[in-house]
Amino acid sequence: MTPELFLLAIVCLTALAFDFTNGFHDTANAMATSIATRALTPKAAVALCAVLNLVGAFLSVEVAITVTNAVIRIQNSDGSPKPELMTDGGFPLLLILMAGLAGAIIWNILTWLWGLPSSSSHALFGGLVGATVASMGWDGVKWVGEGNHLDGVIGKVVLPALASPVIACIVAAIGTRLVYALTSKIAENYRDNFFRRAQIGTASLLSLSHGTNDAQKTMGVITLALIASGTWTDLAEIPFWVKIACAVAIASGTFIGGWRIIRTMGQGLVTVSPPQGFSAEASSASVILISSQLGFALSTTHVATGSIIGTGLGKKGGKVRWATAGRMGMAWLITLPLSALVGAICWFIGHLIGGWGGAFAVFGLIVVAATYMYIHSRRTAVGHHNVNEEWEADEPDEFQRHNEDDDEEDED
Amino acid sequence: MDQLLAALDDSWRVLVLGIAIGAGLPTLFALGVKSLAWGLGGDVERHAAGEFPKPHLPGRIIAYTLFAIVILVAALGITYIVAHGQGWVITFDGIVPVFTPK
Repeated sequence: MTPELFLLAIVCLTALAFDFTNGFHDTANAMATSIATRALTPKAAVALCAVLNLVGAFLSVEVAITVTNAVIRIQNSDGSPKPELMTDGGFPLLLILMAGLAGAIIWNILTWLWGLPSSSSHALFGGLVGATVASMGWDGVKWVGEGNHLDGVIGKVVLPALASPVIACIVAAIGTRLVYALTSKIAENYRDNFFRRAQIGTASLLSLSHGTNDAQKTMGVITLALIASGTWTDLAEIPFWVKIACAVAIASGTFIGGWRIIRTMGQGLVTVSPPQGFSAEASSASVILISSQLGFALSTTHVATGSIIGTGLGKKGGKVRWATAGRMGMAWLITLPLSALVGAICWFIGHLIGGWGGAFAVFGLIVVAATYMYIHSRRTAVGHHNVNEEWEADEPDEFQRHNEDDDEEDED
Repeated sequence: MDQLLAALDDSWRVLVLGIAIGAGLPTLFALGVKSLAWGLGGDVERHAAGEFPKPHLPGRIIAYTLFAIVILVAALGITYIVAHGQGWVITFDGIVPVFTPK
Protein backbone atom coordinates (compact mmCIF):
# COMPACT_ATOMS: atom_id res chain seq x y z
CA MET A 1 0.00 0.00 0.00
CA THR A 2 1.46 3.36 -1.01
CA PRO A 3 1.53 6.19 1.57
CA GLU A 4 -1.04 8.16 -0.49
CA LEU A 5 -3.46 5.27 -0.51
CA PHE A 6 -2.93 4.66 3.20
CA LEU A 7 -3.73 8.30 3.93
CA LEU A 8 -6.89 8.15 1.84
CA ALA A 9 -7.97 4.91 3.50
CA ILE A 10 -7.58 6.43 6.94
CA VAL A 11 -9.64 9.50 5.99
CA CYS A 12 -12.43 7.27 4.59
CA LEU A 13 -12.40 5.09 7.69
CA THR A 14 -12.63 8.17 9.92
CA ALA A 15 -15.53 9.50 7.86
CA LEU A 16 -17.36 6.19 8.29
CA ALA A 17 -16.65 6.30 12.02
CA PHE A 18 -18.24 9.75 12.09
CA ASP A 19 -21.25 8.38 10.21
CA PHE A 20 -21.53 5.65 12.84
CA THR A 21 -21.54 8.20 15.70
CA ASN A 22 -24.06 10.23 13.71
CA GLY A 23 -26.31 7.15 13.74
CA PHE A 24 -26.27 6.40 17.46
CA HIS A 25 -26.38 10.06 18.37
CA ASP A 26 -29.61 10.60 16.49
CA THR A 27 -31.58 7.45 17.28
CA ALA A 28 -33.12 9.38 20.14
CA ASN A 29 -34.55 12.07 17.87
CA ALA A 30 -36.90 9.62 16.22
CA MET A 31 -37.35 6.98 18.88
CA ALA A 32 -36.94 8.46 22.39
CA THR A 33 -40.61 9.24 22.96
CA SER A 34 -41.84 5.97 21.42
CA ILE A 35 -39.55 4.07 23.77
CA ALA A 36 -40.62 6.19 26.75
CA THR A 37 -44.33 5.59 26.16
CA ARG A 38 -43.71 1.91 25.41
CA ALA A 39 -45.23 2.23 21.95
CA LEU A 40 -42.23 0.13 20.92
CA THR A 41 -39.86 -1.97 22.98
CA PRO A 42 -36.37 -0.44 23.09
CA LYS A 43 -34.92 -3.16 20.87
CA ALA A 44 -37.74 -3.01 18.32
CA ALA A 45 -37.43 0.78 18.20
CA VAL A 46 -33.73 0.83 17.36
CA ALA A 47 -34.16 -2.01 14.85
CA LEU A 48 -36.98 -0.18 13.05
CA CYS A 49 -35.03 3.06 13.10
CA ALA A 50 -31.91 1.35 11.74
CA VAL A 51 -33.76 -0.31 8.87
CA LEU A 52 -35.45 2.96 7.89
CA ASN A 53 -32.15 4.81 8.07
CA LEU A 54 -30.64 2.21 5.76
CA VAL A 55 -33.54 2.51 3.31
CA GLY A 56 -33.37 6.30 3.54
CA ALA A 57 -29.66 6.36 2.80
CA PHE A 58 -30.22 4.41 -0.41
CA LEU A 59 -33.25 6.44 -1.39
CA SER A 60 -31.36 9.64 -1.74
CA VAL A 61 -29.61 10.15 -5.04
CA GLU A 62 -28.96 13.85 -4.51
CA VAL A 63 -25.24 14.43 -4.71
CA ALA A 64 -24.03 16.09 -1.50
CA ILE A 65 -20.56 16.73 -2.80
CA THR A 66 -20.67 20.43 -1.91
CA VAL A 67 -21.51 19.72 1.74
CA THR A 68 -18.56 21.72 3.15
CA ASN A 69 -19.45 24.81 1.12
CA ALA A 70 -22.00 25.83 3.75
CA VAL A 71 -19.32 26.89 6.22
CA ILE A 72 -15.83 26.73 4.72
CA ARG A 73 -14.02 27.60 1.51
CA ILE A 74 -12.13 24.48 0.50
CA GLN A 75 -14.24 23.74 -2.58
CA ASN A 76 -15.34 25.66 -5.64
CA SER A 77 -19.05 26.08 -6.16
CA ASP A 78 -19.18 23.05 -8.47
CA GLY A 79 -17.70 20.90 -5.69
CA SER A 80 -14.18 20.57 -7.08
CA PRO A 81 -11.46 21.20 -4.46
CA LYS A 82 -9.59 24.52 -4.46
CA PRO A 83 -6.37 23.98 -6.48
CA GLU A 84 -4.11 25.33 -3.71
CA LEU A 85 -5.24 22.44 -1.49
CA MET A 86 -4.45 19.87 -4.17
CA THR A 87 -0.67 20.03 -3.94
CA ASP A 88 1.25 17.08 -2.56
CA GLY A 89 -1.34 14.51 -3.60
CA GLY A 90 -4.20 16.45 -2.02
CA PHE A 91 -2.63 16.24 1.44
CA PRO A 92 -3.69 19.74 2.62
CA LEU A 93 -7.34 19.01 1.88
CA LEU A 94 -7.24 15.49 3.27
CA LEU A 95 -5.73 16.76 6.50
CA ILE A 96 -8.50 19.38 6.90
CA LEU A 97 -11.14 16.68 6.40
CA MET A 98 -9.34 14.30 8.75
CA ALA A 99 -8.97 16.87 11.55
CA GLY A 100 -12.53 18.15 11.07
CA LEU A 101 -13.93 14.64 11.34
CA ALA A 102 -11.80 14.02 14.43
CA GLY A 103 -13.30 17.09 16.11
CA ALA A 104 -16.81 15.96 15.22
CA ILE A 105 -16.31 12.37 16.40
CA ILE A 106 -14.73 13.31 19.71
CA TRP A 107 -17.47 15.84 20.41
CA ASN A 108 -20.19 13.35 19.47
CA ILE A 109 -18.82 10.67 21.79
CA LEU A 110 -18.31 13.16 24.61
CA THR A 111 -21.90 14.44 24.41
CA TRP A 112 -23.10 10.84 24.22
CA LEU A 113 -21.17 10.13 27.41
CA TRP A 114 -22.98 13.08 29.03
CA GLY A 115 -26.25 11.79 27.63
CA LEU A 116 -26.86 15.05 25.81
CA PRO A 117 -28.43 15.27 22.36
CA SER A 118 -26.40 17.62 20.19
CA SER A 119 -26.45 18.11 16.47
CA SER A 120 -24.06 15.87 14.54
CA SER A 121 -24.04 18.24 11.58
CA HIS A 122 -23.07 21.12 13.85
CA ALA A 123 -20.26 18.99 15.25
CA LEU A 124 -19.09 18.19 11.71
CA PHE A 125 -19.26 21.83 10.66
CA GLY A 126 -17.49 22.84 13.88
CA GLY A 127 -14.66 20.40 13.34
CA LEU A 128 -14.23 21.52 9.73
CA VAL A 129 -14.30 25.20 10.72
CA GLY A 130 -11.58 24.61 13.32
CA ALA A 131 -9.37 22.64 10.95
CA THR A 132 -9.86 25.25 8.22
CA VAL A 133 -8.99 28.18 10.48
CA ALA A 134 -5.85 26.34 11.58
CA SER A 135 -4.87 25.64 8.00
CA MET A 136 -6.04 28.64 5.97
CA GLY A 137 -6.70 31.33 8.57
CA TRP A 138 -10.00 33.07 9.38
CA ASP A 139 -10.66 33.86 5.72
CA GLY A 140 -11.01 30.17 4.95
CA VAL A 141 -14.29 30.14 6.82
CA LYS A 142 -17.56 31.49 5.47
CA TRP A 143 -18.85 33.22 8.59
CA VAL A 144 -21.85 35.11 7.23
CA GLY A 145 -23.80 34.55 4.01
CA GLU A 146 -24.31 37.31 1.49
CA GLY A 147 -27.51 39.36 1.42
CA ASN A 148 -30.60 37.46 2.46
CA HIS A 149 -29.38 34.10 1.21
CA LEU A 150 -28.88 32.17 4.46
CA ASP A 151 -25.35 30.80 4.38
CA GLY A 152 -22.16 30.47 6.37
CA VAL A 153 -21.73 29.74 10.07
CA ILE A 154 -24.35 32.33 11.04
CA GLY A 155 -26.96 31.46 8.42
CA LYS A 156 -26.57 27.69 8.34
CA VAL A 157 -25.68 26.93 11.95
CA VAL A 158 -26.32 29.67 14.50
CA LEU A 159 -29.66 31.10 13.34
CA PRO A 160 -31.33 27.74 12.61
CA ALA A 161 -30.15 26.48 16.00
CA LEU A 162 -31.84 29.43 17.70
CA ALA A 163 -35.05 29.19 15.67
CA SER A 164 -35.67 25.44 15.63
CA PRO A 165 -36.32 24.67 19.30
CA VAL A 166 -38.61 27.69 19.62
CA ILE A 167 -40.68 26.80 16.55
CA ALA A 168 -40.95 23.12 17.47
CA CYS A 169 -41.81 23.96 21.06
CA ILE A 170 -44.73 26.20 20.05
CA VAL A 171 -46.09 23.70 17.53
CA ALA A 172 -45.91 20.77 19.97
CA ALA A 173 -47.41 22.78 22.83
CA ILE A 174 -50.42 23.78 20.73
CA GLY A 175 -50.89 20.22 19.46
CA THR A 176 -50.65 18.74 22.94
CA ARG A 177 -53.09 21.23 24.42
CA LEU A 178 -55.69 20.53 21.72
CA VAL A 179 -55.28 16.77 21.95
CA TYR A 180 -55.83 16.79 25.70
CA ALA A 181 -58.80 19.13 25.44
CA LEU A 182 -60.48 16.82 22.92
CA THR A 183 -59.80 13.52 24.63
CA SER A 184 -60.31 14.51 28.26
CA LYS A 185 -63.42 12.38 28.71
CA ILE A 186 -62.10 9.24 27.09
CA ALA A 187 -60.85 6.28 29.12
CA GLU A 188 -57.12 6.62 29.45
CA ASN A 189 -56.11 3.12 28.37
CA TYR A 190 -58.27 3.25 25.30
CA ARG A 191 -56.93 6.66 24.29
CA ASP A 192 -53.30 5.77 24.94
CA ASN A 193 -53.42 2.67 22.77
CA PHE A 194 -54.47 4.77 19.78
CA PHE A 195 -51.75 7.31 20.33
CA ARG A 196 -49.11 4.62 20.81
CA ARG A 197 -49.96 3.16 17.42
CA ALA A 198 -49.91 6.57 15.78
CA GLN A 199 -46.51 7.26 17.32
CA ILE A 200 -44.97 4.33 15.48
CA GLY A 201 -45.99 6.01 12.22
CA THR A 202 -44.47 9.40 13.01
CA ALA A 203 -41.32 7.81 14.47
CA SER A 204 -40.86 5.87 11.23
CA LEU A 205 -41.31 9.03 9.20
CA LEU A 206 -38.61 10.76 11.23
CA SER A 207 -36.21 7.82 10.87
CA LEU A 208 -36.64 7.64 7.11
CA SER A 209 -36.13 11.36 6.75
CA HIS A 210 -32.96 11.14 8.87
CA GLY A 211 -31.55 8.43 6.62
CA THR A 212 -32.08 10.46 3.46
CA ASN A 213 -30.44 13.57 4.94
CA ASP A 214 -27.60 12.58 7.20
CA ALA A 215 -25.93 9.67 5.41
CA GLN A 216 -25.53 12.00 2.42
CA LYS A 217 -23.20 14.31 4.31
CA THR A 218 -20.64 11.58 4.93
CA MET A 219 -21.02 10.39 1.33
CA GLY A 220 -20.13 13.93 0.26
CA VAL A 221 -17.09 14.09 2.54
CA ILE A 222 -15.71 10.72 1.39
CA THR A 223 -16.24 11.56 -2.27
CA LEU A 224 -14.44 14.87 -1.73
CA ALA A 225 -11.51 12.97 -0.20
CA LEU A 226 -11.46 10.62 -3.20
CA ILE A 227 -11.42 13.58 -5.58
CA ALA A 228 -8.65 15.30 -3.62
CA SER A 229 -6.47 12.21 -3.85
CA GLY A 230 -7.20 11.85 -7.55
CA THR A 231 -8.86 8.43 -7.34
CA TRP A 232 -12.27 9.81 -8.41
CA THR A 233 -13.03 12.61 -10.84
CA ASP A 234 -16.80 12.67 -11.41
CA LEU A 235 -18.40 15.63 -9.60
CA ALA A 236 -21.93 14.53 -10.38
CA GLU A 237 -21.76 10.99 -9.10
CA ILE A 238 -20.89 9.24 -5.85
CA PRO A 239 -19.11 5.86 -6.09
CA PHE A 240 -21.54 3.06 -5.28
CA TRP A 241 -19.32 1.50 -2.63
CA VAL A 242 -19.30 4.84 -0.78
CA LYS A 243 -23.06 4.80 -0.75
CA ILE A 244 -23.22 1.24 0.61
CA ALA A 245 -20.52 1.89 3.21
CA CYS A 246 -22.20 5.08 4.48
CA ALA A 247 -25.66 3.53 4.57
CA VAL A 248 -24.37 0.55 6.55
CA ALA A 249 -22.33 2.76 8.90
CA ILE A 250 -25.22 5.05 9.83
CA ALA A 251 -27.67 2.16 10.15
CA SER A 252 -25.39 0.12 12.38
CA GLY A 253 -24.74 3.19 14.53
CA THR A 254 -28.48 3.63 14.84
CA PHE A 255 -28.92 -0.04 15.72
CA ILE A 256 -26.34 0.18 18.54
CA GLY A 257 -28.66 2.83 19.97
CA GLY A 258 -27.36 5.86 21.84
CA TRP A 259 -29.15 4.70 24.98
CA ARG A 260 -27.79 7.46 27.18
CA ILE A 261 -29.25 10.10 24.87
CA ILE A 262 -32.50 8.19 24.39
CA ARG A 263 -32.85 8.09 28.15
CA THR A 264 -32.29 11.83 28.54
CA MET A 265 -34.75 12.73 25.78
CA GLY A 266 -37.38 10.17 26.75
CA GLN A 267 -37.22 10.47 30.53
CA GLY A 268 -35.01 13.39 31.47
CA LEU A 269 -36.95 16.31 30.00
CA VAL A 270 -40.62 15.44 30.34
CA THR A 271 -42.45 12.36 31.58
CA VAL A 272 -44.03 11.63 28.22
CA SER A 273 -47.52 10.11 27.86
CA PRO A 274 -48.63 8.59 24.52
CA PRO A 275 -50.71 11.64 23.45
CA GLN A 276 -47.72 13.83 24.25
CA GLY A 277 -45.39 11.49 22.40
CA PHE A 278 -47.52 11.61 19.27
CA SER A 279 -47.93 15.39 19.43
CA ALA A 280 -44.18 15.84 19.86
CA GLU A 281 -43.32 13.54 16.97
CA ALA A 282 -45.96 14.98 14.65
CA SER A 283 -44.53 18.40 15.43
CA SER A 284 -40.93 17.27 14.78
CA ALA A 285 -41.75 15.49 11.53
CA SER A 286 -43.75 18.36 10.08
CA VAL A 287 -41.37 21.12 11.18
CA ILE A 288 -38.41 19.23 9.68
CA LEU A 289 -40.14 18.50 6.37
CA ILE A 290 -41.59 22.01 6.06
CA SER A 291 -38.28 23.68 6.84
CA SER A 292 -36.48 21.52 4.31
CA GLN A 293 -39.10 22.39 1.70
CA LEU A 294 -38.66 26.12 2.43
CA GLY A 295 -34.88 25.83 2.18
CA PHE A 296 -34.34 26.73 5.86
CA ALA A 297 -32.94 23.37 6.96
CA LEU A 298 -33.28 22.93 10.71
CA SER A 299 -31.33 20.41 12.77
CA THR A 300 -33.36 17.32 13.68
CA THR A 301 -31.87 17.25 17.16
CA HIS A 302 -32.92 20.78 18.02
CA VAL A 303 -36.38 20.29 16.57
CA ALA A 304 -36.97 16.99 18.39
CA THR A 305 -35.83 18.44 21.71
CA GLY A 306 -37.95 21.58 21.25
CA SER A 307 -40.98 19.40 20.51
CA ILE A 308 -40.52 17.34 23.67
CA ILE A 309 -40.21 20.47 25.81
CA GLY A 310 -43.26 21.92 24.05
CA THR A 311 -45.33 18.88 24.80
CA GLY A 312 -44.42 19.20 28.47
CA LEU A 313 -45.54 22.83 28.45
CA GLY A 314 -48.72 22.09 26.48
CA LYS A 315 -50.13 19.55 28.92
CA LYS A 316 -51.91 21.11 31.87
CA GLY A 317 -49.91 20.27 34.96
CA GLY A 318 -47.13 18.91 32.77
CA LYS A 319 -43.63 19.47 34.05
CA VAL A 320 -40.42 20.21 32.20
CA ARG A 321 -37.12 19.45 33.92
CA TRP A 322 -35.44 22.72 33.10
CA ALA A 323 -32.14 21.66 34.63
CA THR A 324 -31.79 19.01 31.92
CA ALA A 325 -32.99 21.41 29.24
CA GLY A 326 -30.48 24.00 30.43
CA ARG A 327 -27.59 21.55 30.17
CA MET A 328 -28.69 20.69 26.64
CA GLY A 329 -28.82 24.37 25.71
CA MET A 330 -25.28 24.78 27.01
CA ALA A 331 -24.13 21.79 24.98
CA TRP A 332 -25.65 23.33 21.84
CA LEU A 333 -23.92 26.64 22.45
CA ILE A 334 -20.51 25.03 22.79
CA THR A 335 -20.89 22.34 20.10
CA LEU A 336 -19.45 24.49 17.32
CA PRO A 337 -16.61 26.17 19.26
CA LEU A 338 -15.47 23.01 21.04
CA SER A 339 -15.55 20.70 18.05
CA ALA A 340 -13.74 23.50 16.20
CA LEU A 341 -11.10 23.59 18.92
CA VAL A 342 -10.55 19.82 18.74
CA GLY A 343 -10.49 20.05 14.93
CA ALA A 344 -7.85 22.80 15.05
CA ILE A 345 -5.67 20.94 17.56
CA CYS A 346 -5.87 17.78 15.47
CA TRP A 347 -4.90 19.74 12.37
CA PHE A 348 -1.79 21.12 14.10
CA ILE A 349 -0.81 17.66 15.29
CA GLY A 350 -1.26 16.21 11.81
CA HIS A 351 0.55 19.15 10.22
CA LEU A 352 3.56 19.02 12.55
CA ILE A 353 4.07 15.31 12.04
CA GLY A 354 3.17 15.57 8.37
CA GLY A 355 2.35 12.99 5.71
CA TRP A 356 0.46 9.79 6.41
CA GLY A 357 2.11 9.65 9.83
CA GLY A 358 0.29 12.85 10.78
CA ALA A 359 -3.07 11.46 9.72
CA PHE A 360 -2.28 8.25 11.53
CA ALA A 361 -1.50 10.20 14.72
CA VAL A 362 -4.86 12.00 14.51
CA PHE A 363 -6.56 8.66 13.96
CA GLY A 364 -4.76 7.25 16.99
CA LEU A 365 -5.94 10.22 19.03
CA ILE A 366 -9.56 9.51 18.09
CA VAL A 367 -9.17 5.85 19.04
CA VAL A 368 -7.61 6.72 22.41
CA ALA A 369 -10.24 9.36 23.20
CA ALA A 370 -13.09 7.07 22.14
CA THR A 371 -11.76 4.14 24.15
CA TYR A 372 -11.26 6.30 27.23
CA MET A 373 -14.79 7.69 27.03
CA TYR A 374 -16.26 4.25 26.38
CA ILE A 375 -14.55 2.79 29.46
CA HIS A 376 -15.74 5.81 31.43
CA SER A 377 -19.31 5.20 30.24
CA ARG A 378 -19.31 1.66 31.67
CA ARG A 379 -19.38 3.12 35.19
CA THR A 380 -22.95 4.21 34.67
CA ALA A 381 -23.95 1.99 31.79
CA VAL A 382 -27.29 2.73 30.12
CA GLY A 383 -28.78 0.13 27.80
CA HIS A 384 -32.09 -1.19 26.56
CA HIS A 385 -32.62 -2.82 29.98
CA ASN A 386 -32.65 0.41 31.99
CA VAL A 387 -33.37 3.11 29.45
CA ASN A 388 -36.89 3.60 30.80
CA GLU A 389 -36.09 3.65 34.49
CA GLU A 390 -37.56 6.59 36.31
CA TRP A 391 -35.44 9.72 36.13
CA GLU A 392 -33.88 10.37 39.51
CA ALA A 393 -33.47 13.79 40.98
CA ASP A 394 -29.76 13.31 41.56
CA GLU A 395 -29.08 12.21 38.02
CA PRO A 396 -27.87 15.64 36.91
CA ASP A 397 -25.12 15.50 39.55
CA GLU A 398 -23.98 12.21 38.12
CA PHE A 399 -23.65 13.89 34.74
CA GLN A 400 -21.99 16.86 36.32
CA ARG A 401 -19.31 14.56 37.68
CA HIS A 402 -18.67 13.21 34.21
CA ASN A 403 -18.59 16.71 33.02
CA GLU A 404 -15.72 17.68 35.28
CA ASP A 405 -13.78 14.49 34.61
CA ASP A 406 -13.99 14.86 30.91
CA ASP A 407 -13.01 18.45 30.51
CA GLU A 408 -9.44 17.23 30.65
CA GLU A 409 -10.15 14.95 27.74
CA ASP A 410 -10.73 17.94 25.54
CA GLU A 411 -7.29 19.34 26.08
CA ASP A 412 -5.70 16.39 24.33
CA MET B 1 -28.58 41.86 9.68
CA ASP B 2 -29.90 40.64 6.33
CA GLN B 3 -29.24 37.10 7.51
CA LEU B 4 -31.20 37.64 10.70
CA LEU B 5 -34.17 39.08 8.81
CA ALA B 6 -34.06 36.23 6.30
CA ALA B 7 -34.02 33.71 9.13
CA LEU B 8 -36.93 35.43 10.86
CA ASP B 9 -38.86 35.50 7.61
CA ASP B 10 -38.32 31.76 7.10
CA SER B 11 -39.01 30.94 10.75
CA TRP B 12 -42.31 32.70 10.59
CA ARG B 13 -43.45 30.64 7.60
CA VAL B 14 -42.19 27.37 9.12
CA LEU B 15 -44.06 28.22 12.31
CA VAL B 16 -47.40 28.92 10.60
CA LEU B 17 -47.24 25.81 8.40
CA GLY B 18 -45.88 23.83 11.32
CA ILE B 19 -48.86 24.72 13.47
CA ALA B 20 -51.27 23.94 10.62
CA ILE B 21 -49.82 20.48 9.96
CA GLY B 22 -47.79 19.60 13.06
CA ALA B 23 -50.48 20.58 15.54
CA GLY B 24 -53.37 20.02 13.14
CA LEU B 25 -52.60 16.37 12.54
CA PRO B 26 -52.66 15.29 16.22
CA THR B 27 -55.82 17.36 16.63
CA LEU B 28 -57.55 15.55 13.77
CA PHE B 29 -56.39 12.26 15.21
CA ALA B 30 -57.71 13.19 18.67
CA LEU B 31 -61.03 14.16 17.07
CA GLY B 32 -61.06 10.75 15.43
CA VAL B 33 -60.46 9.00 18.75
CA LYS B 34 -63.21 11.07 20.33
CA SER B 35 -65.67 10.35 17.51
CA LEU B 36 -64.91 6.68 17.69
CA ALA B 37 -65.50 6.67 21.42
CA TRP B 38 -68.91 8.26 20.83
CA GLY B 39 -69.52 5.91 17.91
CA LEU B 40 -68.77 2.80 19.95
CA GLY B 41 -70.54 3.84 23.10
CA GLY B 42 -70.18 1.80 26.27
CA ASP B 43 -67.42 2.46 28.71
CA VAL B 44 -64.98 3.98 26.28
CA GLU B 45 -66.09 7.47 27.18
CA ARG B 46 -66.55 8.47 30.79
CA HIS B 47 -70.23 8.70 31.71
CA ALA B 48 -72.52 8.96 34.72
CA ALA B 49 -73.02 5.77 36.72
CA GLY B 50 -76.08 3.73 35.84
CA GLU B 51 -76.44 4.80 32.21
CA PHE B 52 -75.04 2.98 29.19
CA PRO B 53 -74.05 5.21 26.25
CA LYS B 54 -75.45 3.84 22.94
CA PRO B 55 -73.21 3.28 19.92
CA HIS B 56 -73.60 5.81 17.09
CA LEU B 57 -72.92 4.95 13.44
CA PRO B 58 -72.13 8.57 12.42
CA GLY B 59 -69.46 8.64 15.11
CA ARG B 60 -67.77 5.63 13.62
CA ILE B 61 -68.01 7.01 10.08
CA ILE B 62 -66.54 10.37 11.11
CA ALA B 63 -63.80 8.62 13.05
CA TYR B 64 -62.68 6.42 10.19
CA THR B 65 -62.79 9.38 7.78
CA LEU B 66 -60.55 11.37 10.10
CA PHE B 67 -58.14 8.47 10.53
CA ALA B 68 -58.03 8.11 6.74
CA ILE B 69 -57.09 11.78 6.40
CA VAL B 70 -54.31 11.42 8.97
CA ILE B 71 -52.96 8.33 7.17
CA LEU B 72 -53.16 10.17 3.85
CA VAL B 73 -51.13 13.08 5.20
CA ALA B 74 -48.54 10.65 6.62
CA ALA B 75 -48.40 8.90 3.22
CA LEU B 76 -47.81 12.30 1.62
CA GLY B 77 -44.98 12.80 4.08
CA ILE B 78 -43.36 9.53 2.98
CA THR B 79 -43.87 10.44 -0.68
CA TYR B 80 -42.27 13.79 0.02
CA ILE B 81 -39.19 12.22 1.64
CA VAL B 82 -38.79 9.70 -1.18
CA ALA B 83 -39.29 12.27 -3.96
CA HIS B 84 -36.94 14.71 -2.25
CA GLY B 85 -34.31 11.99 -1.89
CA GLN B 86 -34.69 11.12 -5.57
CA GLY B 87 -33.88 14.71 -6.40
CA TRP B 88 -37.35 15.75 -7.53
CA VAL B 89 -38.56 19.29 -7.06
CA ILE B 90 -41.77 19.48 -5.10
CA THR B 91 -43.96 22.52 -5.48
CA PHE B 92 -47.46 23.19 -4.24
CA ASP B 93 -50.38 24.23 -6.39
CA GLY B 94 -52.62 25.48 -3.61
CA ILE B 95 -52.40 22.49 -1.31
CA VAL B 96 -51.95 19.93 -4.09
CA PRO B 97 -48.34 18.78 -4.29
CA VAL B 98 -46.74 18.75 -7.75
CA PHE B 99 -43.68 16.54 -8.29
CA THR B 100 -41.23 17.48 -11.04
CA PRO B 101 -38.06 15.54 -11.84
CA LYS B 102 -35.00 17.80 -11.91
